[in-house]
Amino acid sequence: MRYLWQMLAALAVLAALSGGAVVTLGLYNVSARVGHLPGVSWVLHTAFRNSVRLRAERPPQLPDLNDPALIELGARHYDWACRACHAAPGVAQSPTMAAMVPPPPHIETAVQGWQPHHLHWITANGIKMTGMPQWPAARDDEVWPVVAFLTAVQDGMTGAAYAALTRLPDGPAPQAYCRGCHTPALGTHVPPLAGQGAAYLRMSLRAYLDGSRASGIMAQAVSRPSPAELDALATWFAQQPAPTHAPPPTPAPLIAQGRALAHAATADPDVPACAACHGPNASESAAETPTLVGLPPAYIRQQLLLWRDGARGGGSRAHLMRVAAQNLSDADITALTAYYTTLETNGTGPENE
Amino acid sequence: MTGSTARVDHIAPSRRLLRSSALLATLALSGCDGRQSVLAPGGADARVLGDLFWVMLGGAIILWLLVNGLFFYVTRINRAALSRRFANGLIIVGGVIFPTVILGALLAYGLSIMPDQRAPGDGLTLRVTGEQWWWRVEYWPEGAEAPIISANEIRLPAGQRSEIILDAGRVIHSFWIPALGGKMDMFPGRETRMSLHPEAPGHWRGQCAEFCGASHALMAFEVVAMAPDDFALWLAAQEAPAAPPADPAGIRGAEVFTREGCGACHTVRGPEGRDSQPRGAVGPDLTHVGSRLSLGAGTLGTTLEDFETWIAHTGAIKPEVEMPAYDHLSAGDLSDLAQYLKGLE
Repeated sequence: MRYLWQMLAALAVLAALSGGAVVTLGLYNVSARVGHLPGVSWVLHTAFRNSVRLRAERPPQLPDLNDPALIELGARHYDWACRACHAAPGVAQSPTMAAMVPPPPHIETAVQGWQPHHLHWITANGIKMTGMPQWPAARDDEVWPVVAFLTAVQDGMTGAAYAALTRLPDGPAPQAYCRGCHTPALGTHVPPLAGQGAAYLRMSLRAYLDGSRASGIMAQAVSRPSPAELDALATWFAQQPAPTHAPPPTPAPLIAQGRALAHAATADPDVPACAACHGPNASESAAETPTLVGLPPAYIRQQLLLWRDGARGGGSRAHLMRVAAQNLSDADITALTAYYTTLETNGTGPENE
Repeated sequence: MTGSTARVDHIAPSRRLLRSSALLATLALSGCDGRQSVLAPGGADARVLGDLFWVMLGGAIILWLLVNGLFFYVTRINRAALSRRFANGLIIVGGVIFPTVILGALLAYGLSIMPDQRAPGDGLTLRVTGEQWWWRVEYWPEGAEAPIISANEIRLPAGQRSEIILDAGRVIHSFWIPALGGKMDMFPGRETRMSLHPEAPGHWRGQCAEFCGASHALMAFEVVAMAPDDFALWLAAQEAPAAPPADPAGIRGAEVFTREGCGACHTVRGPEGRDSQPRGAVGPDLTHVGSRLSLGAGTLGTTLEDFETWIAHTGAIKPEVEMPAYDHLSAGDLSDLAQYLKGLE
């Protein structure tokens, strides 16, 4: 019995020594050209597939993944952020990317066999030791456009369709790149920039750049132009005429409820008056305060949720808005969204009283 | 710190004991005087409570002397066995009759002063709501249809009994002005009431007396009793819309107030129908903040410097306070804003 223990101890010491030698003396060959030992790839890949299936949770309600605007937004982000590794529908992968170990699968192959919530989990979390990055911001809501695009690829998107989806509008770069998404066609998901002040746009672009306003899509987008170009973009977009704005049909009682909240005219004083900074009639607001008139409902709603949940930042007054939104209920957010998306103008006028 | 400890070590133990008991006694006695003491009554109710306290204290001393005197007598003066008859008499008189009479008398006295404590007010009604951590105050003069709104300060006409309705926002608080009367708890969604009767003009301090969160200890208020005529003038001034200062700094400060959206939470009542701001009610009404005696619910004074300190460092002064710190304001903006608010008299 004693002899057995001595043997085991000796073996343990030997194993530790050889393990240390492999790490410190560089005995393990990390060459991608040599590849994995037989069976290792199978073990890793199987572990990956089962790990995703175990962890990805099916949300109670999926967004409408067939929404063309959602698919286009996802495709445009994919084109700038993901295409380098996974290529694009109808386009062959670059030989360099195909030589990675493990090789990133071509997007047409990669999407096969997964359900939308799996694709969401993979895109949001990334995969360790494969080179697949996690979403570069803590914003799981932003991943759905990419998932919509990926399900469209599952459904057999052609190369021509992809090219049409990701084509940049005419006009000078880098404005054309921004206008690709900030266009009325994607207006349900992406806010228009014209109509906002230059100071607010400049502040927001810088907040995306330094990460104080979390967004994986915008963080990637603002990494494209130089900081000087970003400031010029802010100025340029602020000078564009605000798009004509057609308020969505909204029930009148909901608008009235939102108006009362926005003007602190409710019995419950827990919510600060939005109108004090965001109007209507807030003609002297700080320059970095956004105008809410003309913003799409889905955008206002999502931003209020982010503020309420403490997940939104950006600018020197973010701490004010975080406190202002902290007591909003889901119903409050619905009512405020209804009110602000039906406002025609931000100025003074009888219709605002 | 180390130096003083070393010095204390040289003092003889008996002197150290003497010194610390003297210190404790001074600390305890300092609680008996001043603006927040039940032993320096300024109101009819506090006086009744004070009398009750002194009567009880006197009675307790007499009882203590009697019991210990008897004990001393039987153990030191007369050690002989008592006669059975005397012992029985002692038990019946000292153990049954005497306590019954004393407790009965105290009960009668206690019951006789209770109606005063629950007496209705003479005319003026105040409605005080406990918030985290400040006091929302409404004045309802007799027959008024709308309240006169103020905060963090209670003013009462001297020589009259005022009705006080108590309520709370989110958690339980307790309303207590030791120099004027007893305390009463404030519950969210349930009204309680009390009435107070300051006897002469004076100036005291009230304090929340029920733990209500991180800044409970910093939830106080100033209390002022005024001669009825002075009170009427003061109330009329509070009812009037704000008279913003006209000096350049004050005017710039008003612009800062608007630009920073202060009106989202704080009302500054403009002339009728001409509010430049929504009437936010998350925080205290600031229409006449310049005329108040404290900032941050009894936490700071009201100098220009106090205004600046409070606005820029709210959370550092009152932990977990809802108002965000406006530390992003430039020194000039902050000073202008302070000038404007201080000017709202």
